[in-house]
Amino acid sequence: MHLDLSELSQLAPIFRELFKGFHISRRDPELYGQLSNFQDQYRGLFKALGFELVCDTRGFYYFVPDQAAAQVNKTAQRLSLFTFILVEHLADQGRDPMSVLDGGSLGRDELPSMLEKYRDLFIQAEVQTADELEEKIMRRMTQLGFAHEENGIYRFLPPMHRFLDVCLSVQQDRDLAASLHSALPLPTPVLVEEESPEELNRTDDPLDLTPFEESEEDALARAIAEEQQEIDA
Amino acid sequence: MIEPKRVLRALAEHWALLEPLCERFDGGTLSLAELRQQLANQQLESTPQDITSLLDVWIRLDILVPVAKSPNRFELNAQIHDFLAYLRREHRLGLCLEIEAYLRHLERLAGHIQDAFEIRDGNDLARQLRLLDMRVRDVLKKLDNDEQALVAVAERAKTSDRQIPLRQRYAEVLATWDEYVEPMIQLVNADGAFEQGVRKVETVLLRLLGEQARLGHLVDDDMLLRTHARILEMQTSAQLTLRHARELLLPLREEARRHNAVTRGAALALSVIRRKGLDAVPQAAMPMFTRPQSTFLGSASQVEAYVYALARFEPKPAKFPKAHKSHKGDAPRAPRTVKEMLERCEGALPLPDLMVWLLEQEPDGATDELLYWFSRLSREKRFARERLERRDYLTREHQVSLRSFALTSSREPSPEPTVSPAHAS
Repeated sequence: MHLDLSELSQLAPIFRELFKGFHISRRDPELYGQLSNFQDQYRGLFKALGFELVCDTRGFYYFVPDQAAAQVNKTAQRLSLFTFILVEHLADQGRDPMSVLDGGSLGRDELPSMLEKYRDLFIQAEVQTADELEEKIMRRMTQLGFAHEENGIYRFLPPMHRFLDVCLSVQQDRDLAASLHSALPLPTPVLVEEESPEELNRTDDPLDLTPFEESEEDALARAIAEEQQEIDA
Repeated sequence: MIEPKRVLRALAEHWALLEPLCERFDGGTLSLAELRQQLANQQLESTPQDITSLLDVWIRLDILVPVAKSPNRFELNAQIHDFLAYLRREHRLGLCLEIEAYLRHLERLAGHIQDAFEIRDGNDLARQLRLLDMRVRDVLKKLDNDEQALVAVAERAKTSDRQIPLRQRYAEVLATWDEYVEPMIQLVNADGAFEQGVRKVETVLLRLLGEQARLGHLVDDDMLLRTHARILEMQTSAQLTLRHARELLLPLREEARRHNAVTRGAALALSVIRRKGLDAVPQAAMPMFTRPQSTFLGSASQVEAYVYALARFEPKPAKFPKAHKSHKGDAPRAPRTVKEMLERCEGALPLPDLMVWLLEQEPDGATDELLYWFSRLSREKRFARERLERRDYLTREHQVSLRSFALTSSREPSPEPTVSPAHAS
């Protein structure tokens, strides 16, 4: 493929955003426009660099980690849980969850009552206070490009479809439905085969997401090497 | 007998008043008082007498008719109502059964045509052909009306209040699909009543053309050909209407179904999580994200805490030991350096359990400090490590559960640390 880098005028900011785990949608018209106009070029370039750019036809772009290295992380679980709760909460109120999550909005003032109502579930995601809900979920949603916050109103963006897809796939999961009616334990997915020192060192920071590359290990190796040099000196 | 011109003139003259009334009548009948009120609102300068005379004209022209058994309630004459609906392009969706009934009638007419030809009755043949032609026009008119009505159904669903539940918002779409589109699909199927009816009529007409050429003309060939062409037009029109209906309603129906699936999925997931915890949601369903750079996302709350601490920083006077004063009690121990710890650790090799060794070395060490040394020493390249089973360790303040390491000397000890070229600076 012939690549003309002068065409890819937004390469640096696009890569920076995607690398951070951000989902680029029409909310960022400049970056989104570039990606749509030169989709194949960007995808080819990123692929050559070892990054898988996903172009979702529903209007957003993101990097997906290598499946082999991927593991479900706390943030994904938290955000999925929040989506499940929000869908049920809205449906209970007689509101249309799809219209809210697909481009609609939610007031920040609605969060405390939701937290109160679903406290037992939020606790499982280590969210106990309104501040934690804002910090660990809503802020993360905005940081990853799932939502946009302005004047106390959260507007949900097209990447939310990723979580709606989770709802759909759960709904289609017959095993899961069947397990609800059986006393047998669920086949719990094995997240990590063996605990490695990286896991030991892993903080509970929700940002400590799926290992995307070996940067942490490399950074540690470098730090050890530097220390060693100091010691030797 | 009411003169048509007078009806048409009245409709034209009072169109401004009749059009809004049509909308009201679409929703049901109106009492005389409601009717008067409605007209008075539209014609502010009119007197009650004017309104009475206006209503009188409409009733005399049969535009307005009293509702059966309720003489004080009125409705638009059904014929006029249909005509006005056509003019206003307001279409009510008919029934699929109506089309089926028309088709059965077409089949019967084809039989009559055949009979008339066999007994060589030219007049009856022409009459039956005309009837057939008119009936086909009825079907075409109905298909056109239904198509417009389907467009309106889709538009209503799309433009209705987004805040009401989707099930409610799309109720009309779902009902229309079940009651009209689905039966239409059956009807227009290759082996459905529509195709069968059309084929039967077509066969009769084509046979008639051939027989006329052989036995002599009873009716003009053009008439047969025109009717045949109209039959084919009807067939195409039905297929187009159906296709259009599917294109219009299928996405909305799918949206409604998707909505239901999403809501059901969320409820299912929550009940599983309630019973079996967050990990019970299948991993495969979860979205994967790339790893964000810790310097970016991870720092948000930490920076906040840091800035908060900075803003409230209060200097404390540092107390240095004075040369002329002797220490009372134990001197505070200087923190261990990495070099010191590494050397001690290296000297103690092999270590059956790093954590046990650390606890022996630093029995009073703070838990976080011990964990730091555990992490640091276990990563040291000059040591080979082997994972142990998980067990509990008691520090001065805490009980820590972890999988420790047995440390031995690395097989190929390298005195100089190797730096990967990627990070060499």
